[in-house]
Amino acid sequence: MTEPRVFFNFGITDDSHTLSAYRGRGGYQALEKALRTMQPLDVEKEVTTSGLRGRGGAGFPTGSKWSFVDKKSPVVYLCCNADEGEPGTFKDRWIFEHNSHQLVEGVLLAAYALNVRHAFIYIRGEFDLSYRRLLLALEEAREAGLVGERILGTEFSCDIIVHQGGGAYVCGEESSLLTSLEGFKGYPKNKPPFPAVKGLYQAPTVINNVETLATIPWIITHGGGAYAGIGAQNNTGTKLFGISGHVNKPGIHERPTGYPLKKIIFEDCGGILGGKALKAVIPGGSSTPVLKGFEIENVTLDAESVIKAGSMLGSGGIIVIAEGTCMVRLLQVLTRFYAHESCGQCTPCREGTAWMDKVIGRIVAGQGVKGDLERLEAVTSGIMGNTVCALGDAASMPVASFIKKFRDEFEYYIEHGRSMFDGRLEI
Amino acid sequence: MVNLTIDDKQVTVPKNTTIFDAAKAAGIRIPILCHDKKLNPFGGCRMCLVEVEQMKGRQIPACTTPVTEGMIVRTMTDEIAKARKLVLELLLLKHPVDCPVCDAAGDCDLQNLTYEYQVNSNRFTDEKFHHAIDYDNPLIERDMNRCIHCGKCARICDEIVSFGAYTFISRGIEAKMGTQFDGPLNCEFCGSCVSVCPVGALLARPFKFKARWWAMDKVKSVCSYCGTGCQLTLGVKDNKVLTTIYDENQGFHNGQLCTRGRFAYQFVNSDKRLTTPLMKKNGALVEVTWDEALNAVQQRLASAKTAGDVAGLVTPRLTNEELFVFKKLFKDGLGSENYDHSAGYAHSALSKGAVESIGVAASSAVIADIQKTGLLLVVKSDAYETHPVVGFEINLGVKRKDVDLRIISDKKGKLTKLPGAKTYLNIPGTETLLVNALAKTLVDENLVDAAAASITGFEEWKKSLDGAAPEQVAGICGLTADEIKTLARDYVKAEKALLLLPLGLGYPGHTKELAQALFNLSFAAGKHGKEGCGVLLLAEKNNSQGAVDLGLYPVAGGKDAAAIIDGCAAGSIKTLYVAGENLVVSYPNRKKVEAALDKVDFLIVQDLFLSETAALADVVLPACSFAEKEGTFTSAGKAVQKVNRAIKPVGQAKSDFEIFNTLYVNLSGKPAVADPKAAFAEITASVPAYAGLTYETLGDAGVVVVPAMTPKFAVAPGAAPTAEVGKMALVTGSALYHCGTMSLYGEGPMHVCPAGYVEIGREDAKRLTVQDDDLVTVTSAAGAVKLKVKVGSRMPEGVVFAPYHFADQSVNSIASGESVTWVTISK
Ligand SMILES: Cc1cc2nc3c(=O)[nH]c(=O)nc-3n(C[C@H](O)[C@H](O)[C@H](O)COP(=O)(O)O)c2cc1C
Ligand code: SF4
Ligand code: SF4
Ligand code: SF4
Ligand code: SF4
Ligand code: FES
Repeated sequence: MTEPRVFFNFGITDDSHTLSAYRGRGGYQALEKALRTMQPLDVEKEVTTSGLRGRGGAGFPTGSKWSFVDKKSPVVYLCCNADEGEPGTFKDRWIFEHNSHQLVEGVLLAAYALNVRHAFIYIRGEFDLSYRRLLLALEEAREAGLVGERILGTEFSCDIIVHQGGGAYVCGEESSLLTSLEGFKGYPKNKPPFPAVKGLYQAPTVINNVETLATIPWIITHGGGAYAGIGAQNNTGTKLFGISGHVNKPGIHERPTGYPLKKIIFEDCGGILGGKALKAVIPGGSSTPVLKGFEIENVTLDAESVIKAGSMLGSGGIIVIAEGTCMVRLLQVLTRFYAHESCGQCTPCREGTAWMDKVIGRIVAGQGVKGDLERLEAVTSGIMGNTVCALGDAASMPVASFIKKFRDEFEYYIEHGRSMFDGRLEI
Repeated sequence: MVNLTIDDKQVTVPKNTTIFDAAKAAGIRIPILCHDKKLNPFGGCRMCLVEVEQMKGRQIPACTTPVTEGMIVRTMTDEIAKARKLVLELLLLKHPVDCPVCDAAGDCDLQNLTYEYQVNSNRFTDEKFHHAIDYDNPLIERDMNRCIHCGKCARICDEIVSFGAYTFISRGIEAKMGTQFDGPLNCEFCGSCVSVCPVGALLARPFKFKARWWAMDKVKSVCSYCGTGCQLTLGVKDNKVLTTIYDENQGFHNGQLCTRGRFAYQFVNSDKRLTTPLMKKNGALVEVTWDEALNAVQQRLASAKTAGDVAGLVTPRLTNEELFVFKKLFKDGLGSENYDHSAGYAHSALSKGAVESIGVAASSAVIADIQKTGLLLVVKSDAYETHPVVGFEINLGVKRKDVDLRIISDKKGKLTKLPGAKTYLNIPGTETLLVNALAKTLVDENLVDAAAASITGFEEWKKSLDGAAPEQVAGICGLTADEIKTLARDYVKAEKALLLLPLGLGYPGHTKELAQALFNLSFAAGKHGKEGCGVLLLAEKNNSQGAVDLGLYPVAGGKDAAAIIDGCAAGSIKTLYVAGENLVVSYPNRKKVEAALDKVDFLIVQDLFLSETAALADVVLPACSFAEKEGTFTSAGKAVQKVNRAIKPVGQAKSDFEIFNTLYVNLSGKPAVADPKAAFAEITASVPAYAGLTYETLGDAGVVVVPAMTPKFAVAPGAAPTAEVGKMALVTGSALYHCGTMSLYGEGPMHVCPAGYVEIGREDAKRLTVQDDDLVTVTSAAGAVKLKVKVGSRMPEGVVFAPYHFADQSVNSIASGESVTWVTISK
């Protein structure tokens, strides 16, 4: 198979993450090319042509996001969102650990395109090896004149500042990431104003995911058109998928978009643990609506197809659930997470996530009462679309979809005070 | 302008207007819980959600979302009603719903919206919180069980008060509005947070269980403490003022008040109020009837009139109408010009300085200029303490309008800490020298405004600055010549620049000359007679400006306050009529004042309380507080504002208006001034700036009067006080919680700041080996007092500060009216 690879294009060794190894693979040539032969606008044009969509979860077209920024503003900031906190998502970590330089190069290219003098990488506080590898890469790059003043001897200067998060999932939400970077408690902000207009320190700011930025060097090297030729039509390129849950071989796979979901589970990941039947799939990180096993039959891994099936491609964190799993207890894991991570700023999410978790907890403890499901549904619909940031939606979608898809299981649990699936799942 | 449709109504509003404000302008009400027009939008409660045709799929918070061209907004649909109802249900989940015992009931946004949206049952249930209620301070009760997380308290304390007492701690459902380290509240106690709290989470403790909100009459009035002239609403029941009620639509300050306005109204119904006249019989004051008291006063005044040995001292806390009749009583009834107020010096910056510099006893700027200026130069950081709500205006100017704040002061203060503020610490008493050096810089560097040369007195003034150059005075002032020059250049180069100087009994150094030096500077820099420019002289008390407008000081040869005291001591004044002044405590040199009052034959004191001065009187007449009368006050910002009667007189007290009027009629043989309204009509006919005003035109909002000004350069020499070797410089002034001596009868201020103190810098404290709360003796040439020590970082080395309000160990026992008092401090 000679599918193009943006990430999985080298063998991992003890020093494959170093500058010399990266350079040996053609690293930083995209930067050379851009700085010496392209105008900033050309870089943006290539990215627009590539059709690249943000890999952080929302899938917003990257070129279009960049185009909103007034590059003539005296200050423009770029923030790389490396807070990777969505349960089921672990792709950015792979990039840091194995190829931080690719991200650094991507950041520099974006900075060049956007007229950015200072770029920030907001990295999840719990990441350790990632953090160390990133610092190492930056040190190497700085020494090699790739970061800092007059990069590669050109007029272009850019510093990259790394900031470790404090352990809040919500700080991955772009506006609270900015508040956190500014030194405040990480509260999301109402939009508008959007960061592209008024972001970090009130200056126009672009926030992009790690994977998004790390894709840029490939696009510059091979051209936006080449990238657009890969994968699905409206959701081009390759993407990193992190598969976890009840599969034989969990892990990260790079696949072109449009790749069949079933294939990645059953072929690439070796099928379901213990040969069990597939019960459900959460296709794009814990926030995306769950799909029943049979619903994924024709689903391909691109935004359109997954949306058609009733869910979202999200961050590409695929959580596979085998037959025999208690969906009520599984949901409790999620409600606990979101209740714990709500920043508490807006009423529906603060009160709603805590209440939902409490009720799910009560059901799991065998004390559910009639009407709980209807009330849960009322709360999810009251949260969705009505909160300051999308964490409210993220918390509601699993609850709403779990109840919708597995209502019988919930009703059984409430009625009998115990799960349909007694005992632990034997795997 | 942006055109949009709200509920089928065409609306046109300026760019950047929010949907909420646009709807409001169109008369459409959108419910809010976390929004406040004074604060930056927050958008947390989600009560104001609306539907926008162009943003389908989400409901849009009206309070944070700016309008866009062609927007189609629906403020009420079934979906919206559902969402809002859910918000309320969720808020009520944890809320204790203890409305029957909550003081906010009736005035609670949560209660009112729950009613409006008919949330008569909650689909959801949850356990309630059991947060401990903060009862640790006497003024503000914090019951976080009732908190709905609107964040308004934190925002107002940060954005407007600039104190920053609150922040949310923890996150999610555990989030709680907390204080520093979750400890007890320890702040300025301005009560702003209480005012804006939409529920009963923050309550005024002095009002606790005093009355249901709806059972009170709400009477609009004006604060009777400082010259800021904040408008307020009194909550009245059973002839008692029980609280001040927040009304965000009142005044330039949008209902904001300081500790005194918010928590110090108790003096009105204090049980220490005088309720009957008193007369000295056999050496003791005993209760008498009004007839007896007034007869005695009248007889005495009649004979004093013949002898020509009468004088009067009146407080500028009285209404314009009362001051007017007082003056009539003296001029027409007693044929005397011996009357004054505020010890004379506290108004001389206006009554002498401004009069000579601009031809009228007023500032050349108004409070609104603070937010319109480019550079604000405040002389004395105490402007925050003397006029706290003006301080809020400064905060807002600096933080929202990018006002470049500069401070010349003998100590640091709250203003010093504002973002970008630059403080020039000067040696106490050298302010006039310093201001002249600023002016001299303009002259030497050819920065004087072209038009200045044609102002009368220019050449003479220019000549008078010889010897005032920065290099010559820098050392004396404690600054470098460069600092002075830079400040002068920045001041002149700012497109608009405003000078601000607080006045008051605590500031004897804020003289006529200092005011004139400031006016001169403003003329020379071309910063006069324009928006955001000029000199703002902050008169101390609620009607200090009115008192100078009405000329309540001797003009044609009468004795001023100092001469009156001297006259009493020398025996040339035998009858003294004191209305509302507590000179024993507030005038300089207590010993001298006491001796003078001792000497005077007949002392009449008219007051609310048996003050230290009243205790020495031969006749004491019980007067009415501002809550018991009708009239007008004129603020430091020249706003003439209406005071309305909220309660009947306490006990047998009579208004000063009535007392003066009776005496006036009987002693002059002329007809009475019918009522305050008639008095006001006479005032408007005699004070040019008030021409044309009537009670009707004043309305609730009041009117800012703009007097005609004629600038004139006046020679205003400065001189440094001679330092006494081995002594420290004591500067006096106002404490944040107090104003004059009246606030001593306010529960709030007295709880927070019950007694005088001496503030000492850290270095000096170390040298003197004293700590907070140590009792020290402060000795000057005039005497000694024992005061508690407050160690702080505000005071430069060698300078100490003491507030003047307190009767016990009063600072005027050691201070004699000089700008600086030289003292030693010992344990
Ligand atoms: C609660 C929440 C958490 C998020 N966490 C992350 C994250 O960890 N990493 C990330 O890249 N984007 C995260 N996002 C999405 C970002 O808000 C933003 O859309 C993204 O960083 C944009 O980058 P992209 O355009 O490159 O995808 C999160 C969003 C929400 C609402
Ligand atoms: S939706 Fe939740 S996380 Fe987002 S701002 Fe509101 S309370 Fe905070
Ligand atoms: S009383 Fe004033 S200073 Fe104290 S917390 Fe409230 S707003 Fe802040
Ligand atoms: S205490 Fe009052 S003002 Fe402060 S957040 Fe709570 S409800 Fe709002
Ligand atoms: S004391 Fe002064 S600042 Fe305070 S509320 Fe009264 S008028 Fe306003
Ligand atoms: S009033 Fe708009 S969100 Fe609270």
